[in-house]
Amino acid sequence: MKKWLLLAVVMALAALQLSWPEFLVFFNARPDLLLIFVIAAVFYLDFKTALVFGIICGLLKDAFLPGDFGINTILFSVWCYAIWKLGRQISTEHDLVRFAIVFIAAFLNSIITGVQSANLGNFIPAGIFLRNLIIPSLYTAALSPLIFKLTKKITV
Amino acid sequence: MFKLPRKTLINLTVIASLVLFLSYSLIRLKNPVQKTFKPQLSLVSLLKREIRGIVFYHRNMVENETLQSAVDSLRSRLFDSREIYLENTRLKGLLAFKQKSGLRLVPARIIGRSPDSWSSSATIDKGKYNGIRRGMVAISPRGLVGRVVESADNTSKILLINDPSLGVSSIVQRSRQEGLVNGTLGSNLIMRYLPKDADIVSGDVVVTSGLSQIYPKGLLVGRVVNIGSDLSGLNRYAIIKPAVDCSSIEEVLVIIP
Repeated sequence: MKKWLLLAVVMALAALQLSWPEFLVFFNARPDLLLIFVIAAVFYLDFKTALVFGIICGLLKDAFLPGDFGINTILFSVWCYAIWKLGRQISTEHDLVRFAIVFIAAFLNSIITGVQSANLGNFIPAGIFLRNLIIPSLYTAALSPLIFKLTKKITV
Repeated sequence: MFKLPRKTLINLTVIASLVLFLSYSLIRLKNPVQKTFKPQLSLVSLLKREIRGIVFYHRNMVENETLQSAVDSLRSRLFDSREIYLENTRLKGLLAFKQKSGLRLVPARIIGRSPDSWSSSATIDKGKYNGIRRGMVAISPRGLVGRVVESADNTSKILLINDPSLGVSSIVQRSRQEGLVNGTLGSNLIMRYLPKDADIVSGDVVVTSGLSQIYPKGLLVGRVVNIGSDLSGLNRYAIIKPAVDCSSIEEVLVIIP
């Protein structure tokens, strides 16, 4: 039952991410709600379930992006594994640590996607490249407590 | 830290293979996923519009007053242009003997936008059932919007003009100078591969050239706002303000060839 509820949350977050209100878009940056959810799933669920949610979220995100290769499906699974592994080495209970983890994951996700785009020969000015790296990552990290709370409420 | 037991290693390999398989199978999953999401996206889009109406009531009221006065002024201008319109209609009728536009347009509403910051795309509520196919061009009354890159049964994905992977062969309307217009993910576009002595100045209007045979000739792309030279000094580039504001566009027209 809980898992179905979480699946409904994933659907709602995906719909919200796709139609994020324009007045909440800062410097063309939108938060990656699905990435936050995947990280929250690693913190509050067992690894296998979190990984399944990671794959679902990655597939959902890729389904709405141009291009035929599911890079987010791979990246979200990797973040799942890396954060799960990290959680066994350090304490991830503190809010600031979680904020930092979300920021780093979003930042790395952005770097990989951005470099992939540039590698395809797309011209992206340096200023816009840096802006796309930093601002959406910060925005994603800033919204993470809300989704963490929601996931905690459903799972605990 | 990373010394893994054999069993875990096998499990990880199986999971990694599964993930890779799913990534490569993405193309088959896209249609059902987009089909499932269409009603939710339409509902969220509707709710968003209603909530925006309530939240920005005062702003809308002031805007309404401004627009009302603009409407009055335009009404009087419209009366003046009626004569010109009638003349134009007659001339157009004559011209129609030689040339027909032949544009068949399908109106569509944007129901979703790109989920990340590295691409600029939009999902529209029309797809294959409405005759929309990959490669078709999307416009608005203001100018070129983008190109259809994926078409599902009920939805399609449009790569907007400010996406860096979209290249549009264009010309400067005044001097007929050719160049390639690309998006930058920002608010402006860039026209590249202009020769050093290109006849282009700020304020020039840029339209599609029709050379690529994807975009019909003469669609408005934007206006030149700045000109510069690239690092090699061999070519120049022009910064173009697009005619269509991709961040706020809500409806598009897809050209059915």
